[in-house]
Amino acid sequence: MDNHTTPALEIRGLRRTYGTGESAYEAVRGVDLTVERGTLLALLGTNGAGKTSTMEVVEGLAAASGGSVRVFGLDPVADRAEARRRTGVVLQVSGFSGDLTVAETLEMEAATVTDPRPVSEVVALVDLEHRVDTKVLSLSGGERRRLDLACALLGKPELLMLDEPTTGLDPESRRRVWELVRNLRDEGAAVLLTTHYLDEAEELADQIAIMHAGRIVREGTLAEVVGQQPSTVRYTTPDGETTTLETEDLQTTLTEVLTWAAEHGVRLSGLDARHASLESTFLAIAGTPRSDDTPATDASTDDLEGAVR
Amino acid sequence: MTTMTFSSTSPALRRTTGLTKANGRLMLRNRLNLAYGFVLPLLPLAFLLVGDRGDVGSAGMALVSVIVMAALFPVYYNVLSMTVTRRDELVLKRIRTGETRDLELLTSLALPGVAVAMIVGLGAIPLALALGAPVPVNPVMFVLTVLVSALVFAVLAFWTAAWTKNAEAAQITSMPVILLAVVGQVAISFPEEVRRWIDLTPGAAITDLVRSSWLGLDGPSTDPSLSFGETWAAAGQPLLVLAAWAALAAWLAARSMRWEPRS
Repeated sequence: MDNHTTPALEIRGLRRTYGTGESAYEAVRGVDLTVERGTLLALLGTNGAGKTSTMEVVEGLAAASGGSVRVFGLDPVADRAEARRRTGVVLQVSGFSGDLTVAETLEMEAATVTDPRPVSEVVALVDLEHRVDTKVLSLSGGERRRLDLACALLGKPELLMLDEPTTGLDPESRRRVWELVRNLRDEGAAVLLTTHYLDEAEELADQIAIMHAGRIVREGTLAEVVGQQPSTVRYTTPDGETTTLETEDLQTTLTEVLTWAAEHGVRLSGLDARHASLESTFLAIAGTPRSDDTPATDASTDDLEGAVR
Repeated sequence: MTTMTFSSTSPALRRTTGLTKANGRLMLRNRLNLAYGFVLPLLPLAFLLVGDRGDVGSAGMALVSVIVMAALFPVYYNVLSMTVTRRDELVLKRIRTGETRDLELLTSLALPGVAVAMIVGLGAIPLALALGAPVPVNPVMFVLTVLVSALVFAVLAFWTAAWTKNAEAAQITSMPVILLAVVGQVAISFPEEVRRWIDLTPGAAITDLVRSSWLGLDGPSTDPSLSFGETWAAAGQPLLVLAAWAALAAWLAARSMRWEPRS
């Protein structure tokens, strides 16, 4: 089943519905994603876009309503033992007992992993050597997140699933996590990462997928994703009117605007010409109403689960 | 060297042991909980000081109370609060993304409490004898009673955890099971028709098992009449009652267990 060309993760037509009948809500509506070995895919999306709902299926915590997930060609349910051995997960919120020390937490974790890395090695990987005898309760948010990563790395995972791994971290901690993730990717691990930070995606991702209203609406390299979005030219004429032009060909449009201004002797204030950025692309997508038969909600998946249970 | 030992044991056993060790550590770190687990169940042995040495009535009351409390405090209450707390801490959710199976995770939550109950049950034997209780008729059956009671109440704890919102709510949600556990002891004074139903509670089954195994008492009788051999036969029905409760609780828990905090 698994030869070296099999993708680390392959999601096809994934659907996930909460509730049944009238109150049923489809949070994931036919998602296709592929993460190749040695690459990092950043999954972006607004709150309630269905990222976490998708992640939970991939992590094996929830069942899909439709479609398929393959981890190195394996079915995460039927081939659970083998699939789990090769994956590492960092959930959106850390889950630790505050009264255990860092070392005790990792010892416990190591006992649950086939062929674990030595605890000392993993502690060094995430820069927590000086904190091994500290209770988790006393760790800072950043240290706790690095302990999460340490737990996920104990099993030498070939596929890492990181759900917002740097949320709440200070800039320095974020950089350290980035460096660690980049190194793991360079050593051949595949990484599926969700994030709210667009700079994180720009910094780390080989592939970017933007999810909106349960579907993947853009996918590709940073250049490809941004390239599908028009460039903009904006200026204000002396009568105080601001104009924004969208164009596929920034140079030509800008030349036309400047030529027109020169010919008519108009002074343009606040002149701004730019290619689309990941941010403008993302915001344009986030601003699109859901093409949906049920009314749009901002509810996160957690709220939704609560509502239907 | 450690790796050698690890690879030679079964992965399921290694996972369960590792998790049990952590849960045991956490239990030992909660001093108050620990004192409740060890000391409280042994207090009823003081009843033995009230009656005459060898008095069957006070011995019965004392020993049944010890075992019921051992099933309730170190096992039921402890396993319930550990399960709910680990769930609130999102530890259960995180562990479930790994190789660990649900049954291993639950076993690791139950074992520390079951171990304390066993220590209490075994410790009660010399203590009770020293305080003047008669020599047990069937000590093997008595120890088995402690073990089975502990296991049944661990499963009841998982079922309760399934519909307990958080650790605070456990004070209320534990009431039905506590009632099921203690009603058996007061039943002796109830009319026959009521008692027949109460006999079907886990508390009554434990009462019967303790009284027959240690004191050789047959049902509500106060006259020690059962021989060693007869105590085995007398254990049949109450053991069946306990097994039925365990099966029911396990079925309900499996259907409704929640691994994440309720939102």
